[in-house]
Amino acid sequence: MSYLGSIFSGFKTLLTGLGITGKEIGGKSVTELYPHVEPELPEAFRSVIQLVRFEESGSHDCVACMQCVKICPSTCITIEGGKIEGIKGKRASEFEIDFALCSLCGLCIDTCPTDTLEWANIYDDAGQEREWVYDLLKPHEAFEEQYLTTRRAIEAKEAAEKAAKKAAVAKAKAEKAASEAASQEASPEKSDTTSEADS
Amino acid sequence: MPRTLLDIFGNPFIATGVGIGAVMTVLSINVLFCIWFERKVSAWIQRRLGPMEVGPQGTLQTVADMVKLLGKQLLTPAGIDKPLYHLAPLIIFAPVVASASLLPFSKSVALSDLNIGLILVFMFGGFAVVGIFMAGWGSNNKYALLGAMRSVAQNISYEVPLLLSALSVVLMVGAQGGGQIEIGDEVIQLNGLNLSHITLAQTSGLWFIVFQPIAAVIFFIAILAETNRAPFDLPEAESELIAGFHTEYSGMRFGLFFFGEYSNMFIGAMLATVLFLGGWDGPLLPGPVWFFFKSYLLIFVMMWVRWTFPRLRFDQLMAFCWAVLTPLAIVNILVTAFALKVVNG
Repeated sequence: MSYLGSIFSGFKTLLTGLGITGKEIGGKSVTELYPHVEPELPEAFRSVIQLVRFEESGSHDCVACMQCVKICPSTCITIEGGKIEGIKGKRASEFEIDFALCSLCGLCIDTCPTDTLEWANIYDDAGQEREWVYDLLKPHEAFEEQYLTTRRAIEAKEAAEKAAKKAAVAKAKAEKAASEAASQEASPEKSDTTSEADS
Repeated sequence: MPRTLLDIFGNPFIATGVGIGAVMTVLSINVLFCIWFERKVSAWIQRRLGPMEVGPQGTLQTVADMVKLLGKQLLTPAGIDKPLYHLAPLIIFAPVVASASLLPFSKSVALSDLNIGLILVFMFGGFAVVGIFMAGWGSNNKYALLGAMRSVAQNISYEVPLLLSALSVVLMVGAQGGGQIEIGDEVIQLNGLNLSHITLAQTSGLWFIVFQPIAAVIFFIAILAETNRAPFDLPEAESELIAGFHTEYSGMRFGLFFFGEYSNMFIGAMLATVLFLGGWDGPLLPGPVWFFFKSYLLIFVMMWVRWTFPRLRFDQLMAFCWAVLTPLAIVNILVTAFALKVVNG
């Protein structure tokens, strides 16, 4: 390329470069003012775990089955649980995770049979001590009483329904048995003929 | 013809005092603004937000930075050349004030109106090289010395196309309307080296960027190199030389270098405005508004260039100056002289 031609084309590329950066001026920023603006977290964001609050029951559904405690490779989960009067099954009374030990592997979430564990969207937590324990039941404390009352009512209702059903089934059974006994008495040969035809 | 401070105050001491005060105020505000603006422009280009914390949109960020710099300890490295080391920031800082006072920012009032204004501005610009070399030599630091040596080579080289491109404007002024211009009933003999005459020559006709586009581009590029701005910031070259010539300076000594750099930028932009963009000339708005608007537009372009292009290698820098800019400037001045001779007879 000639001397002047190369100068001209070089100048043109400079203008192209300026155009590329110039387009960004006045555009929308991709960074945000971190502490002042809540960041948009990715879907697979991992932090500490939390107990899901289910819509229908209004509380978590931890049955203290200890699956998460068993599978946890960092042994950072502590669960206490037991029977609560008027409710079937067990229920957690203490659920703590030492986040200082947690490796965010997520096995507890995968293994939970009642799907009551999930990732919490806590992105700005920091600690200065070796102990860094989260009490996962704490956010659910307020709903616990309400949950237990409704649960007890539901279970009492269910028990009553079951009892009624059982009674109905027993009654039907008794009726059936009675009717069968009656029909057998009326035609005792009928069953014999069918069995012969089959053979 | 703008009146000068001496005409207004009569007493040269009062005029000097007022002039220094005014120039220092304008330069300080300019530096505070430019540093903030530079950070904002870089942020915009890189899709960031830039300073946002101190003041609305981070406008007071530079004030906070300055307070921090004032509070810093002034470290003096061992083995330095004391007079050079301590004098260097002043040598860089003082000519800036002097050359800023020469520029005519308004039709009616200027700080000083000298017949050799253009030469003086370039002369004071040349002081910066001395200051930079003193800083690099006196610091007893190999990186500082490398930066200073680069700076000297670069600034001396780029002064050639800078002066040659300015010279074509000087020729144009001298030839404008037979070298005379009428303002009211006053006839002024135009002097190509007087900065306000250069502006006056443009107010009656088109701006010189129309007649001298090549000279304008060469001048702008040379200004970038003279002020050590990217992509010609080899004397600083953070990634190679730490901070170049001011590596060993801390606190407000470093602050003075910074002040000098941004003020030099401002003066370069103002000079380009006077030479090519018609100075205070513009419709409707008062002269100083136009003058500063054009200057800041050029400063914006300087920042835009800085955040767009990567730094040149040293041989590229020299080749660009001696093989491209200087021949072009020489050809340009010859063509200008020839054309003026043909047109004016």
